[in-house]
Amino acid sequence: MRFFTPEWAEAARAAVDAGPERAGKLPTYWNWIDRARTGYTATWALGVRETGEYLVLRWKDGKCAEAEITSDPSAADYVLAAGADTWRELREGADPGRVVMYRQLRLERGDVLAFFRVIYFFVESLAALSRLRTD
Amino acid sequence: MTELTDVAESDLRGIRDLDIDDVLAYVHRDLKRLPDYTELYKRYLRQRWDVYELDFSQDVADWRERMTQEERDAFVGISAGFHHGERQVEVELPVFMLGGSEESKIYMSSQIEDEARHTVFFDRFYREVVGMPGDSVQEVLDASFEHVSETFVGPFGLLAYQADELRKDPEDPAARVRYGTTYFLWIEGVLALSVMKITLTYCRERGFLPGYYTGFTATCRDEARHVQFGMRFLRDSVQEDPRLLLQIHETLRTILAINGAASRRLALESLGWTPEEVRRLMIRQLHMKLTDVGIAIPPDIREMVSRIEPELAGG
Repeated sequence: MRFFTPEWAEAARAAVDAGPERAGKLPTYWNWIDRARTGYTATWALGVRETGEYLVLRWKDGKCAEAEITSDPSAADYVLAAGADTWRELREGADPGRVVMYRQLRLERGDVLAFFRVIYFFVESLAALSRLRTD
Repeated sequence: MTELTDVAESDLRGIRDLDIDDVLAYVHRDLKRLPDYTELYKRYLRQRWDVYELDFSQDVADWRERMTQEERDAFVGISAGFHHGERQVEVELPVFMLGGSEESKIYMSSQIEDEARHTVFFDRFYREVVGMPGDSVQEVLDASFEHVSETFVGPFGLLAYQADELRKDPEDPAARVRYGTTYFLWIEGVLALSVMKITLTYCRERGFLPGYYTGFTATCRDEARHVQFGMRFLRDSVQEDPRLLLQIHETLRTILAINGAASRRLALESLGWTPEEVRRLMIRQLHMKLTDVGIAIPPDIREMVSRIEPELAGG
């Protein structure tokens, strides 16, 4: 499976919808994420800066309902982008929380405060899609 | 001299003998009066200390021979957040300096220097005492990140994104107030002072880590200027445009919403703190800032404050 292809986008949708492995972290942490996710409706566009391509993930009522690869993320609520090196580091196991804290994935458009109200849900979704095996 | 005069005037050698509670009282003493930016800058020039004068030789012996593994784990777990946090604010503050009055810019240059010095303090502690590997500052940061909890990832991440937002227009009053609420009120006013109280009380009561105690107590005295600058900035901003109070409220709603998510537990009991004591400490730190500066909060935020979870202790 190649990175940023329709096949990968669908696998990413399924991965974030299922969420990452929960072992090793406190149940209260996952309770927080479950609360953040309940009823969550928003669209994320996650881009690769060099190619201008975005993975668009549409969340509806807490389910990740649709995914696509596009070069036009204008319909998304939150548009984020990182360099190819950051995406490679994530696929190689970089801590997604650190990627956020060090602003390696920049919020190009969208309300910062609203985005951060679900930040650990976002971080764990980033973890889930980063762990997909790619060629 | 009174204890608070001692706090204000001690050199690095004298700081070692100060009680952290007196330093915290010093932080709050001027919150009702709130000195102006020039006075704070003058104070910086008198209180600046040399991070390379700290002697960590006794700390190394305490760390290896007197502290238990559980105490070391808890200590690293709680202080790693500020190892990264000091670096984070050092790089995120310059954008805030671009806006505001000339007096504010001059003062802010001193705070950026403070934060760089605090970054070196933690770099030395993690390298020389904890024994983290790395030839560069970044490599030591890389080695300690695994200990950083969500308590710090969320607020420091928020600050990084707010700095990006502010970069688009450094004079935007609403963006400055949102940034200032996260940084001065929560990170400096609640998180930093809570971590200082917890780790420095442990050091003082056990007689451990004199180099850390001296450096972090001096850091706490620096925080007095940072918090007082920040509270003055927020107070003046709201007095100038009362609508900006809503920006403080929205930012607090976000910060309090992400409070309490902790993926692992820190055994702070080994440092002498129960989760309930940490919870009360954080609430008290926040209340003191809001009350002294006169920032009114609506009932829903009061309710969120009362539900602050002791996330420093792992929820």
